[in-house]
Amino acid sequence: MKQKLEPSDIHQGDSLPQVVKHVTQRDIDRYAEASGDFNPIHIDEAFATQTPLGGTIAHGMLILAYMSGMMTEAFGNNWLEGGKLSVRFKTPARPQDTITTSGKIDSIEHKEGVPYVNCILESCNQKGETVISGGAVVKLGQYCGGKKT
Amino acid sequence: MPPTSFEQLAVGYEFPPVTYQLSESAISKYVEAVGEQQDFLTSGTVPPLAIGAYAMNALSQSFSIPPGSIHASQDFEFLKVVPIGTTITCSGKIAQKVERGRLSLVVLEINGLNQDGEKVLTGKAMIAIPR
Repeated sequence: MKQKLEPSDIHQGDSLPQVVKHVTQRDIDRYAEASGDFNPIHIDEAFATQTPLGGTIAHGMLILAYMSGMMTEAFGNNWLEGGKLSVRFKTPARPQDTITTSGKIDSIEHKEGVPYVNCILESCNQKGETVISGGAVVKLGQYCGGKKT
Repeated sequence: MPPTSFEQLAVGYEFPPVTYQLSESAISKYVEAVGEQQDFLTSGTVPPLAIGAYAMNALSQSFSIPPGSIHASQDFEFLKVVPIGTTITCSGKIAQKVERGRLSLVVLEINGLNQDGEKVLTGKAMIAIPR
């Protein structure tokens, strides 16, 4: 998987290319099928309406997949092998939400000559509410142009 | 007496491993569901969060996570690029359990190994379960 960002492109303070997704109940249902998570809070409107959430919500792992997709786009195989993610789920995403996932390069550290990129990540809904927040670390240099070095 | 529900599981409980075949059709379904770029299918690579999803699924095979539970946090480390067609075995254990008010905070450690026994993913999930 080729990365968009070459090491020379990566600077502290840079923003990662944003990912915007409109979440529908169909997306949630398809994610349930793909992941095997059929918790009724995600797919059963009649059930979900009776809960304090008042309606169905998207799987946290679905929204997190958008975040991982953004990291894959930016860093390619260096994310798939050597990527670390650490997040909190803050607010549920609901059907018809538009989720904007963004990231920023917080710092670049070198350990034993290997660069590690520390990123701050966030997914927000259309009201500006944080759905997921956290960080990621990417170890660079293992892959260049999609191929192992 | 063996536990009969998720709430009864104690710290140290190890969930039985579950094996999944990461076939092209399964990954295609996942890629479509999350709106991922088709690059994954073109390159024959499994999205790392797909493995994460299977690992979480493995934990719910023996005991359903109780209704009203909230997935509070998630950590993952992706250790190897995983080709489509890989067979992964996912397992996990209860690493920590803390009672906090009306909730039980449970930390689950999860692992995914490929058919060669190599770790491809590790992670930790915190689930808040109503008491």
